[in-house]
Amino acid sequence: MSPLDWWLLLAVLLFCIGAFGVLARRNTILVVMSLELMLNAVNIALVATAQFRSGSAGAGVLFALFVITLAAAEVTVGLAIVIANYRNKRTVLADRFDEMKG
Amino acid sequence: MPGGDFHPWFFVIIAAWILVCGLGVVLFRKIVYSAVSMVFCFLGVAGAYALLNAELVAIIQVLVYVGAISVVVLFAIMLTETQGTEYKLFFNRQSIFAAPVAVAAAAVLTVLLVSSEIADVGEKSQNPGLYRLSELLFNRYVFPFELVSLVLLGAMIGAIVLARAEGEKQ
Amino acid sequence: MESTDYMKIAVALIPLLPLFGFIVTLLVGKRMGTKAHILPVALVTASAGLAVYAFEWVFRHQEEPFVWDAFSWILAGKYEVSWGFQVDTLTGIMLLVVGIIGMLVHYYSIGYMHGDGGYYRFFAYLNLFMFAMFVLILADNYLLLFLGWEGVGLCSYLLIAFWFPKKSASQAGKKAFLVNRVGDFGFTLGMLLIFVTTGTLQFAGVFEKGEMIASGTLLWICLLLFTGAVGKSAQFPLHVWLPDAMEGPTPVSALIHAATMVNAGVYMVARSYPLFVHSDTAMLVVMIVGTFTAIYSAYIAITQNDIKRVIAYSTVSSLGFMFMALGAGAWAAGIFYLFVHGFFKGLLFLCSGSVIHAMGGEQDMRKMGGLRKRIPVTFWTMLVGAIALIGVFPFAGFWAKDEILAADFEHGYYVVWAVGIVTAFLTAVFAFRLIFMTFFGESRAPEEVQAHIHESPKVMTLPLVLLAIPSAALGLLAGWPPESGWIHDFLEPVFYDVEHAEFQWLGTGGALMVFSLAVALLGVYLAYVMYVKRLELPGKLAARLPRAYQASLRKMYMDEVYEVVPIRSTIAVSRWLWTAFDVNVIDGAVNGLARLWAWAGTTLRPLQTGRVQNYAFGIFAGMLALVIVVGWVWGV
Repeated sequence: MSPLDWWLLLAVLLFCIGAFGVLARRNTILVVMSLELMLNAVNIALVATAQFRSGSAGAGVLFALFVITLAAAEVTVGLAIVIANYRNKRTVLADRFDEMKG
Repeated sequence: MPGGDFHPWFFVIIAAWILVCGLGVVLFRKIVYSAVSMVFCFLGVAGAYALLNAELVAIIQVLVYVGAISVVVLFAIMLTETQGTEYKLFFNRQSIFAAPVAVAAAAVLTVLLVSSEIADVGEKSQNPGLYRLSELLFNRYVFPFELVSLVLLGAMIGAIVLARAEGEKQ
Repeated sequence: MESTDYMKIAVALIPLLPLFGFIVTLLVGKRMGTKAHILPVALVTASAGLAVYAFEWVFRHQEEPFVWDAFSWILAGKYEVSWGFQVDTLTGIMLLVVGIIGMLVHYYSIGYMHGDGGYYRFFAYLNLFMFAMFVLILADNYLLLFLGWEGVGLCSYLLIAFWFPKKSASQAGKKAFLVNRVGDFGFTLGMLLIFVTTGTLQFAGVFEKGEMIASGTLLWICLLLFTGAVGKSAQFPLHVWLPDAMEGPTPVSALIHAATMVNAGVYMVARSYPLFVHSDTAMLVVMIVGTFTAIYSAYIAITQNDIKRVIAYSTVSSLGFMFMALGAGAWAAGIFYLFVHGFFKGLLFLCSGSVIHAMGGEQDMRKMGGLRKRIPVTFWTMLVGAIALIGVFPFAGFWAKDEILAADFEHGYYVVWAVGIVTAFLTAVFAFRLIFMTFFGESRAPEEVQAHIHESPKVMTLPLVLLAIPSAALGLLAGWPPESGWIHDFLEPVFYDVEHAEFQWLGTGGALMVFSLAVALLGVYLAYVMYVKRLELPGKLAARLPRAYQASLRKMYMDEVYEVVPIRSTIAVSRWLWTAFDVNVIDGAVNGLARLWAWAGTTLRPLQTGRVQNYAFGIFAGMLALVIVVGWVWGV
């Protein structure tokens, strides 16, 4: 098990924890938070790989930077949606939003 | 055990920090606890970046994630928080299936990881420093850089529109 | 130009002229009104003339038949069928019969069908029939023969059901076509078998290989071909259509159901001589079927009251005689009988048409009587026909029928000979029963009808006279001396290898001749007694033997048998297939399929919960499964 293996293992575990959160929690804001966890896991994997494998010359790190940036944008819009929904239905629980049922 | 130029134990501590805080995010009943857990998690991740010789990313991680995103999240929690006990169920009905699936995913990916050559380190490499990174950012990757700023602009406008819609009819 | 070139023109025109007549008459005939007959009649006269020319040509070239491969018809890989003609002596005889009688019937129809609403249609169909019949007899291969065969079947249907608004007529037409079809099916199978075995359908090609065909296969070929003949020539059990075919106008009965179409079966078997002659079993079957049919239909004929039906059953019986001859090995005798039969049976039908015309449409003999003074020409010609039929010296039927019976006796088929004698007796009885009931005694017709009885116009009576002449004389001309007359030599090239028995005037031959003559005269006398002298006899006899009488009157219940056995069971099976199979299985499958989709939709709907997290779970789990599968396949 090389060093990179361990870092990737960390990334995998964090990713799956985040996935669980996305799938299993009712509060939508919590879902968004778990989503951020998943993104962070991916970033760790990226940066770790860039550190230990040659060839990318910094592209990995920059990629991670962009991910962070876009994650910020995505959180913004996502939470704006949550709040808009909250205004209409007075709830943030994901399973209360089922108008598209059937 | 990795740890970059540092002692391997640093890796273990940082990894444990990150994972514990991550579990905290998804398992706490009270959402504010989850939010705080998330902040600590981000900090841990920043530390991980530092271990990986990517100081720029670590700084930016702190600035953006801890400084901005966590704040936004807390604002959202504040704006939508119902009185604590209005609902009893914190995990939805599919969580019974989600848990094993998540575990299985972790297992599968671990197996893949371990049995493949993805992590065979060839030449010794290292993340470039700040100077080199900024060189790349403004030369080779200037186009994505500009595009990302457009995306940010769009997100800003979108968020404003969404947040305003119910308010003033204008 | 060589003589063969003239012959080519003649042979090509013989069928083409009537075909042209059919097309033109059908298209413009309606507008021509009562003149619609001019073109078809002229064309068929021309064809008849050309047919006589062709006959004369064959007469001069008896040893080398005219063969002409006109043009290629079907070309499919190795298989080729061409539109080819063959005129040998057998064809020559048929050309005479078809051409002359066809022409005379056309003239007769001008008078008979006068005033009918479908006047032009009638002549168009008659011309089409002539085309098909000529193609049939001129063909040099089985497939082309079959084309003509089907064509005459079609025309038979069209003409039997000519007065189609009458329900019984259209049903009779259908019956004829369907029963024929059964025979045609056998014929087709026979042709297939021939093709599979010999690789060709050309007569020349098939007959060359005739001896080499395995006897089992050959038997099947002959039997299947004979099935076609049974249908077309109305032998038992496919005879049921012919009596009902009397629904058609009388000229149709005369032409198609006496002189030409029904002979097609006999012609086809005779043409297939090189095949049949190598299969004793097949010939035995032919003989037995013919013999049985002969006596069976004669038995029915003695009680029928419709004048045309009597003659119809007589035709069936005569055809049976012809097959009896062919089967017994008396090939030339059978064709000889066919030759003369065409004339006198056609004559009998046309005369009956004249009688019906005189009686204003009445066909029931019980309402006739005493007509001989009122319609003398018809009477005398019909009498000639009847005498020819029953075979009294020296009229035509005598020589032909006698030769057949003699052949039976000489080849050792004594039972067949005995049946033949009985049939001849019955024939005499019913033939003269017809004559006596119709022309003798007191008139049993109602007053108004009696007032209108008149002789038919010349255009009808002239053909009668013209047919009476050969009916009387042809037997003598063609068949004298017995067994070695002109016609026997003429047919020698076709029926090679047939032994000619020497006819002994003072031996068996002469004795048989006298005996059959005596039998015929006895029949006439019996008819005289029953229908002229002591008119109460028929009634008493019927009362004494009610079952026998009913059996004869009711056509031996054949139609009832057909109704029950094939028809009812087919209808029952159809009904079952409809209610049980189609409704349940097929509709069930189709409806079931629709219900299946509806069920699937209803069952799968709960998957769409409307909740995004559920969908996310699906995506995640699916992705995981995919990764597992790919990893497995890649042998991780």
